[in-house]
Amino acid sequence: MNTGSNMRIGPFEVFYPIESAAPRLRHNGDQGLPGRLFVVEGIDGSGKSTQLSLLHKWLESRGYGVVFSQWNSSELVKDTTKLGKKKKMLTPATFSLIHATDFADRIERSILPLLKAGAVVLCDRYIYTAFARDVARGMDRQWVRDLYDFAAKPTVAFYFRVPLETAITRLVTGRDGFKFYEAGLDIGLSDDPTESFRLFQGRIVDEYEKMIPEFGLTVVDATLPVEVQQAQVRQIVRTHLERAKDLRVRP
Amino acid sequence: MRQTYGKVLPGMKLSDLAGKLIVVEGTDGAGRSTQINMLRPWLEELGHAVLDTGMTRSMLAGEGIRRAKEGNNLGRMTQSLFYATDFVDRLENEMIPALRAGFIVLTDRYIYSLMARAIVRGMDAGWIRGIYSAALVPDAVFYLRLDVEQLTPRVIFSRGFDYWESGMDVFPGQDMYENFRSYQAALLAEFDRLSVEFNFETLDASADARLVFAQLQAKVQRILDADSRKTSFTGAHGHAAATAATRREHSVTLPRETSSKQSDWAFHPVAANLFRGNGRNFPEHK
Repeated sequence: MNTGSNMRIGPFEVFYPIESAAPRLRHNGDQGLPGRLFVVEGIDGSGKSTQLSLLHKWLESRGYGVVFSQWNSSELVKDTTKLGKKKKMLTPATFSLIHATDFADRIERSILPLLKAGAVVLCDRYIYTAFARDVARGMDRQWVRDLYDFAAKPTVAFYFRVPLETAITRLVTGRDGFKFYEAGLDIGLSDDPTESFRLFQGRIVDEYEKMIPEFGLTVVDATLPVEVQQAQVRQIVRTHLERAKDLRVRP
Repeated sequence: MRQTYGKVLPGMKLSDLAGKLIVVEGTDGAGRSTQINMLRPWLEELGHAVLDTGMTRSMLAGEGIRRAKEGNNLGRMTQSLFYATDFVDRLENEMIPALRAGFIVLTDRYIYSLMARAIVRGMDAGWIRGIYSAALVPDAVFYLRLDVEQLTPRVIFSRGFDYWESGMDVFPGQDMYENFRSYQAALLAEFDRLSVEFNFETLDASADARLVFAQLQAKVQRILDADSRKTSFTGAHGHAAATAATRREHSVTLPRETSSKQSDWAFHPVAANLFRGNGRNFPEHK
């Protein structure tokens, strides 16, 4: 609990009602909060959302209180992000900041309270997405990591590793063309959207690869059949649920 | 060359930012917009192009922040980052292009207000400083200082109590007046601390607005004078010209005489015009 404190600053004594609202949660994994946080990461077309949705259904069928949170989905912030993307107003810096704002809203009002309440929280993309994309856009690696210092550390962060060409083939057959920011057209790697997408996502893959040892990401081979991947994911998740004492179950 | 507080954003070129970045800081009710609304016409009268900007005026995030503040669900971290987005959008798309074009940028609040608000809300001071390490170091920060006793009537008898300015999201309980005073006192203490760290030039904002304006004019004039000496005497002529400039600084008295006249509001037609009547007839904040 935050009980507040008095601080003496020069001649003034100031009462700060909140000790720290930007809790440095780096070390606040399983030990700190009763809930469990599982996140999936990977480039577009890696199949991570499919895997998360299968995990979600399985956890629900086993009676856990599960909540799903998607990247870029804050009700307060997403209209601003949409405006910035539609009008192509975002620079690498504001792209980074508006996504951090969206994430902060979900952390403050949903993810953290739910983890405190003992829920199982599933996130489709997490801070590693921001680290990969923002650094691929030229933002300073450390600055972006510091920016997200308030994030809760996931119980497990799965990284769905897939060769770039496989992902592109999956995407090209699934939709018509790439969006401006998704293809990194804002940083001028190439005028051709498909080529730009390839170059930009290549940079993102490089960043993910560096983050595997840095953050201990759990790598899943996303070229394997869906069922095989899901069996691996469930096995890992199961070990983390068995050790949890205070998880909520659905009423 | 112009500097940032540590980090340089991608694509941000710091050379050729010939304009001047002048910050007016202060708590609520200190008269910041009143002063800016007098500084701008005065500077334009002198022939300078001026951009004035302030919090939540960005194309990107201004509207989003306004909407978010209407509800009761804008959290402290979200708020801090939303304001940071607004700031960086204006920095990259307004302030830097204007400075490159040689404008005088007058900004109503800068990173210091944003940091003070975040810190009072319990944000980690290192965290918020890190975010704003990409901000440009301004040419001057004029801090209009009022204590809580003085700012209280100014705020509550003009705009009334505002939920956020009263720190209702920070302090427990429903007493708006008590919360307002506690919140403003905390902000003020933080400002005073920042004023040392970031070399603010503090002005007593409890003085008559005309007096504050005259002081500001003199200070701004000094910045402009220093700059005109630099641009006229350096460059192609190199060292010899620079040495000549140093010598001439002592012998040429005309620019100083001119500036001291201009710094007196009464002699300035625009400023004098503003104070006609009851003295409260300042231009409305846009």
